[in-house]
Amino acid sequence: MLELKDIKLAYGSAQILNGVDLSVERGDVVSIIGPSGTGKTTLLKCINYLAKPASGTISFDQIKMDYQRPDKTAVQAIRLRTAMVFQQFNVFKNMTVLQNVMDPLVVVQRKSKEEAKEIALHEIERVGLTSRCNHYPSQLSGGQLQRTGIARALAVRPDVILFDEPTSSLDPELVGEVLKVIKDVTSSGITSLLVTHEMQFAKSISNRIVFMDRGVVAADGSPAEIFDSPSSPRLAQFLNSEYSFQ
Amino acid sequence: MDVSAMIPELLSALPLTLAITFTAMVAGFCLALVASTLRIRRVPVISNLVDIYVSYARSVPVVLQLFVAFYGLPLLVALFGAADFFSPNVAAMVGLSLYHGGYLSEVMRPAYLAVDRGQHDAADSLGYTFRQKIFRIVGPQAIHIGLPGYGNSIIYLIHNVALVMYIGAADVMATAHLIMERDYNQYQFETYLVLAVIYSVLCLIAWLVIRFFELRSPMQAPEAKATTQIRHALISNA
Ligand SMILES: Nc1ncnc2c1ncn2[C@@H]1O[C@H](COP(=O)(O)OP(=O)(O)OP(=O)(O)O)[C@@H](O)[C@H]1O
Ligand SMILES: [Mg+2]
Repeated sequence: MLELKDIKLAYGSAQILNGVDLSVERGDVVSIIGPSGTGKTTLLKCINYLAKPASGTISFDQIKMDYQRPDKTAVQAIRLRTAMVFQQFNVFKNMTVLQNVMDPLVVVQRKSKEEAKEIALHEIERVGLTSRCNHYPSQLSGGQLQRTGIARALAVRPDVILFDEPTSSLDPELVGEVLKVIKDVTSSGITSLLVTHEMQFAKSISNRIVFMDRGVVAADGSPAEIFDSPSSPRLAQFLNSEYSFQ
Repeated sequence: MDVSAMIPELLSALPLTLAITFTAMVAGFCLALVASTLRIRRVPVISNLVDIYVSYARSVPVVLQLFVAFYGLPLLVALFGAADFFSPNVAAMVGLSLYHGGYLSEVMRPAYLAVDRGQHDAADSLGYTFRQKIFRIVGPQAIHIGLPGYGNSIIYLIHNVALVMYIGAADVMATAHLIMERDYNQYQFETYLVLAVIYSVLCLIAWLVIRFFELRSPMQAPEAKATTQIRHALISNA
């Protein structure tokens, strides 16, 4: 369904992505793990072209693009079929929870206000924020902000949802409420890509794990293959350090 | 001639002062919008020229900018073979518009840049067009950030309108001097006092309008009642 090939990206002289290949099937829940700074976030952002690779190709069902020849319509088509949940939430600060979730439906999808509101209220209920509907971001906790971000992503009914470390800027006691919502989302069958440092969580919700290291995919397999019998010393070392940290 | 006759005479010059202020406010705002856009979206050569304009408007004393406008603009139009249509009033409007535009662009540009990068990312990722993103997300947040600076720039503009008498525009300040000369400098203190009150009222009105928009902004916590906030702000300002 989604296939990235030979993605290369550099920021200045630093080569961040060094020929990444990744393919995702419909219904997959793929977790991307790896040391800090290896380009996991950057890779996710290449999919919706928030990060602009120097070369490589993407194909998303029938949409195809070569990053050396960026194509506005292809980028827009991909953006309309994906949604992203950000590490820093990035909830629109000038809008209430309800407006945040409704706005893309009204502005981008040109739905009527009534229809957008109905969909928005449904997704807000799903993430348990009904009582906070009319609150502004400045009045919400981190966990509530991230659940707003998830509701906004779900409301656009994306084919693929991209989670970029959705819990890593949360206070420890708020992580649980967000993981619960993500688990509910991923088990509903929507294709998901999740960058995370929550190893136990990745293991429990994913059907595939991708281990990234130094700008390439260093291992790719089922949770059992990756966690129980790591194929490379780098992976084993990484898993060890993550577990000892937790 | 007594003090009470002097007040209406001073006020008769107020429309011109206001006309110059409003012209500079509107024209300066448009200039600032264009200048900020060009400085953010770096167009080669043009953006550099705009940089020079902004640094001129911000670093040259406003009196000097008025002289430059008054003596320079006729030369400029003569170059193009047009007749000189620059009265002191028009020169004052043009000079202050240029000053205010340059000054204001250094309020707008930082306000735009202060909007979190993540807000752009979120809007882009959801498929907002550039215009939709600016009008619905980034613009409103930049306005919220920029409003206090905008209020200051308006107050500086009002103060600087008092300088137009140097190029011979008959605003309230110039009128005050006329009155004093004619009356053998009898009521200097009173005249200046009335002038001070006029400027204070103008600035207070400007400040209240800006404050109203600040409090109306959705990024302001809605439970904070606008009226009590204005009262508090007035007290702390006094
Ligand atoms: N806009 C940018 N400009 C320059 N360098 C950047 C930019 N964004 C990211 N980087 C650099 O690219 C590298 C990879 O960043 P990225 O955020 O993709 O890592 P990551 O794998 O998500 O790490 P983490 O687990 O800490 O989130 C980092 O070294 C980072 O400093
Ligand atoms: Mg990251």
